[in-house]
Amino acid sequence: MSSLNSILGVFLRELKIHYRSFFNILSIFLFFILSIIIFVFAIGSNKELLNQIGVGIIWTIILLSNTLSIKKFFQNDFDDNSLIIIHMSGLSYEIIALIKMLAIWIFLQAPFFIILPIAFLLLEMQFDNLKIVYLSFLIGSVIITCISAISGSMNLLNKRNFSMGGLIIMILSIPVIIFGVNIINVSSNIEIIKAQINILLGIMFFFLAISPWASGLCIKISLQNK
Amino acid sequence: MLLVNNIYFSRQSKTILKDINLSLPPKGIIHLTGNNGVGKTTLLKIICKILNPDEGDIFWNGKNIKKNHYDFCKNITFIMDKNTSNENLTVYENIIFWKNIFSSQIKINEIDSILKVLGLLQYRNTSTIHLSFGEIKKLELIRLIIEQKKLWVLDEPFVGLDLKSVEIILQTITNHLDLNGMVIFTSHTLPTIPNINTLNLEINE
Repeated sequence: MSSLNSILGVFLRELKIHYRSFFNILSIFLFFILSIIIFVFAIGSNKELLNQIGVGIIWTIILLSNTLSIKKFFQNDFDDNSLIIIHMSGLSYEIIALIKMLAIWIFLQAPFFIILPIAFLLLEMQFDNLKIVYLSFLIGSVIITCISAISGSMNLLNKRNFSMGGLIIMILSIPVIIFGVNIINVSSNIEIIKAQINILLGIMFFFLAISPWASGLCIKISLQNK
Repeated sequence: MLLVNNIYFSRQSKTILKDINLSLPPKGIIHLTGNNGVGKTTLLKIICKILNPDEGDIFWNGKNIKKNHYDFCKNITFIMDKNTSNENLTVYENIIFWKNIFSSQIKINEIDSILKVLGLLQYRNTSTIHLSFGEIKKLELIRLIIEQKKLWVLDEPFVGLDLKSVEIILQTITNHLDLNGMVIFTSHTLPTIPNINTLNLEINE
């Protein structure tokens, strides 16, 4: 019961902190929209080309947007020792990582569901494909959150090089990009879509299993080296 | 009863702590003194199991804390040199967060009384980013009352506090000891705690 109170307490705190830093979060989504607009200006009004590469652009910018939010994961709580206090309330570092992942998903990934139609509009993409992009993003966003948690916690180990976290996200996200983008190209064949979704689900469950453990370990080591 | 047994700790091939032994019975208080960098904070972190010693064990009520970490956590409050309150949250929200995670039985009117005594009641709904260093430190020390644990581990608890607040904290420590509590703390000043035998442990370089 006390563990449940602790989990709920940490989760509510995370929601409040993210809510209070709303303008920081808003800047991430503005980055996303502005990047799409820049792509549209750079490519021109070639509707067919935009339709072809639109999903690739969206996924790439979602990834880049996520690299901006890595610091939000653990850094502040690590710097002010809050992680220690939360841990001393009886929660393992793995559970703390899991709670933070859920809060980050709600505030930094879920809003993309509202923004994606705007991106579709800007890139003049077919709205028939929106459902399938939603489905792939639903799975892909969980994977990206897990990867961000790993790179965010690895950043704690490496105080001097924050760009390393962004690089880790990009490298580990390559399979998500491949299957997330390809799903649109095969959208006419329901069997191939199912296979792609299954692969994405497999990747999601893999990262869901390892990321709390990997993040927890990184937090523990970084606190010991502090 | 806390027992620290033959603790050795080194970092980057430099020995920081060597054969540290101490015991802390109920109503006991230990004042750790020593020059900067001799390992006072390190020893406190080892006691709280944030750091693992190279050698040695720590026992709480006869049980090794390695095997009973979460049980030990239920009995210990650690006030660090850094303030753990979140600057995006108000004074009250930070307190409610600590109350929630430590499942504290403290009531809302009691929280208000503590805030009033420490002169923080007027900042109840103010974000901690707008508080001074001393006010944030006082907020941090409120955790001692909220957590209601038996063993208090305090790293430089008096830094940044005005004389009145130091007196309040000393009185709180005295009351805690009267209730069979235990305190281990570091401080470069020598606080006067009435009727309490303080064991000064000098950590040698």
